[in-house]
Amino acid sequence: MTDQQRDDLRHDEVGAGTTTGLAAPSVDVTDTRQNSLWSDAWRALMRNPLFWIGGVLGVLFLLVATFPGVFARGADPRDCSLSNSKLEPSAEHWFGYDQQGCDYLANVVYGARNSLIIGALAVVVILVLGVTVGALSGFFGGVVDSVLSRIADIFYALPLVLGALVILRSGSLGRGVVAVAIALSAFGWMTAMRLVRSQVIAVKSADYVAAARAMGASNSRILVRHILPNAVAPVLVYATITVGVLIAAEATLTFLGVGLQRPAISWGLQIDAGQSLLRTAPHLVFFPSIVLTLTVMAFVMMGDALRDALDPRQRS
Amino acid sequence: MSTAWTSAPSGQARRGPGPILQVDDLRVQFRTGSGVVNAVNGVSYTLSEGQTLAILGESGSGKSVSAQAIMGILDMPPAEITSGRIVFEGRDLLTLSAEERRKVRGPGISMIFQDALSSLNPVYSVGFQIGEMFRAHRGMSRRDARRRAVELMDRVRIPAAAQRVNDYPHQFSGGMRQRVMIAMAIALDPRILIADEPTTALDVTVQAQVMDLLKDLQRDTGMGLVLITHDLGVVNEVADDVAVMYAGRIVERGTVDDVFGNPAHPYTEGLMGSIPQVESTGGRLRPIGGQPPNLAAIPSGCPFHPRCPRRRLGADALPGRHCAGDVPPLRLVIPGREAACHYSEEVLGV
Repeated sequence: MTDQQRDDLRHDEVGAGTTTGLAAPSVDVTDTRQNSLWSDAWRALMRNPLFWIGGVLGVLFLLVATFPGVFARGADPRDCSLSNSKLEPSAEHWFGYDQQGCDYLANVVYGARNSLIIGALAVVVILVLGVTVGALSGFFGGVVDSVLSRIADIFYALPLVLGALVILRSGSLGRGVVAVAIALSAFGWMTAMRLVRSQVIAVKSADYVAAARAMGASNSRILVRHILPNAVAPVLVYATITVGVLIAAEATLTFLGVGLQRPAISWGLQIDAGQSLLRTAPHLVFFPSIVLTLTVMAFVMMGDALRDALDPRQRS
Repeated sequence: MSTAWTSAPSGQARRGPGPILQVDDLRVQFRTGSGVVNAVNGVSYTLSEGQTLAILGESGSGKSVSAQAIMGILDMPPAEITSGRIVFEGRDLLTLSAEERRKVRGPGISMIFQDALSSLNPVYSVGFQIGEMFRAHRGMSRRDARRRAVELMDRVRIPAAAQRVNDYPHQFSGGMRQRVMIAMAIALDPRILIADEPTTALDVTVQAQVMDLLKDLQRDTGMGLVLITHDLGVVNEVADDVAVMYAGRIVERGTVDDVFGNPAHPYTEGLMGSIPQVESTGGRLRPIGGQPPNLAAIPSGCPFHPRCPRRRLGADALPGRHCAGDVPPLRLVIPGREAACHYSEEVLGV
């Protein structure tokens, strides 16, 4: 096809607003939708086996958390008999029984909901806070940066668990799932903020930001379109790992007596309860731990795949 | 080619009614920890429609900084524009608000950069980035913007534009990337295009293609082109007029043929002498001696005097024209030629 013919073709398409089969050689002409970063990233994700493994695991745990009754094989986590205390796993009771003689599979399954909700909720709050504050701080610099960074430093002064402990001890939020998530994110957003801030500062001086400015892009467009997509990858990876840290922190708070309260069920409570019985009944630590590990792994794998997908240079 | 213009008497006002860009006594300083760096020290020039003005100078001569000041993309601080006017379409850009200034960038004045790979956002396809010009400034839909992007890619002669519109910057060769950059810069039909060393990162054949493209686009649109470069060959091929910069000042200005044919400033003379000549194989190049000036401590008098083979000091100097003491103003030496040297007539041999 000559250039002239191709031009004619395209002009026809412009006029008609549609395309015909004649345009077949130039495949993309039929696809007049503008490719965006996210649609391309999504396509790259779909091709990544890591994302599939992580995604399938993640969806599985999500289902478990949503419909625990289906996965508990009919057992009620609160239907306990001390005569079954610490019984080993069997064909009938896959995860065995805990010290109180409750079906352990049912307990682990019912624990997924609280652990996942706390982990997910806290990490979302951390991401929103961290990205917003970090981006503003890095982009505007100067006084804005000084003020926001000092505020972050104040929060840094208290370690995650200690800070959350203080908030929960004050009692104004209660001891529920949301309260624990808020307490954890209030003292967990600073690292995300610093990551985003340093990335934004690095990306801000990139030539393509100067070029965008020279083409008349506004501050908000430069920040949202040009800087953030190039700056968020590390914080997304950090966030996926943090989900695991937060679930573990929830367990710690619970152990210290300020997190979720019995009779609430969570992996943290189970691991802590099982620790003292590690020699006599190792399955009490093993099962919640392995499920916790798999959950964290699912998020980390999805995070890795996401990082690759967001960087076109990593795509094959 | 510049030969077409040699009959014109002066560098200005030979096309179009008046200048579209007028830079007046522009001065830019950088305040650094170790003192004040005077990067641009009173640069003035005008640009008319369809005119190509080359700004020639070595690294640190202030050519890029003055361009960034015109674009309004200097990082301030540390940079500071201490005086001057930049009049574009009758308005002094330096008095405009940041938002009004931003609206000039793109449709009014646009710019292309030296390194196209780092000047394109790695996470967006080139079609998206070109289309963004239309979406940001004209509020076009994605669909229309993409179609315009393909048209522009055709216009800057990227082969198989429709197939390549979704490719990413790293999937293009250096020359093609620079074309993408040019497509973005001309998307909104700017009246002025500033090209900051557009071909420095490219090999020679691609350089020629890119410069040809710029000339053709200029012929089609009548835009004024400011070409910032240290490449004498590029200047000779495409520019109408040239302004030679040294230590943040313009030291000589005129048509390319005049300036290259018979320099009126010892610095330009030195530049010409350092060009390798095909005929004189085996001969030594004659470099300009000494070091480029430290912009934090520019020499007194004529900033070029420590390196100047024609300098006149002490008793040799004419009254008021002491090279180490009196700053030579940029003055009309012969019709159509300005130079900032006390002894330009001597350099010219007139």
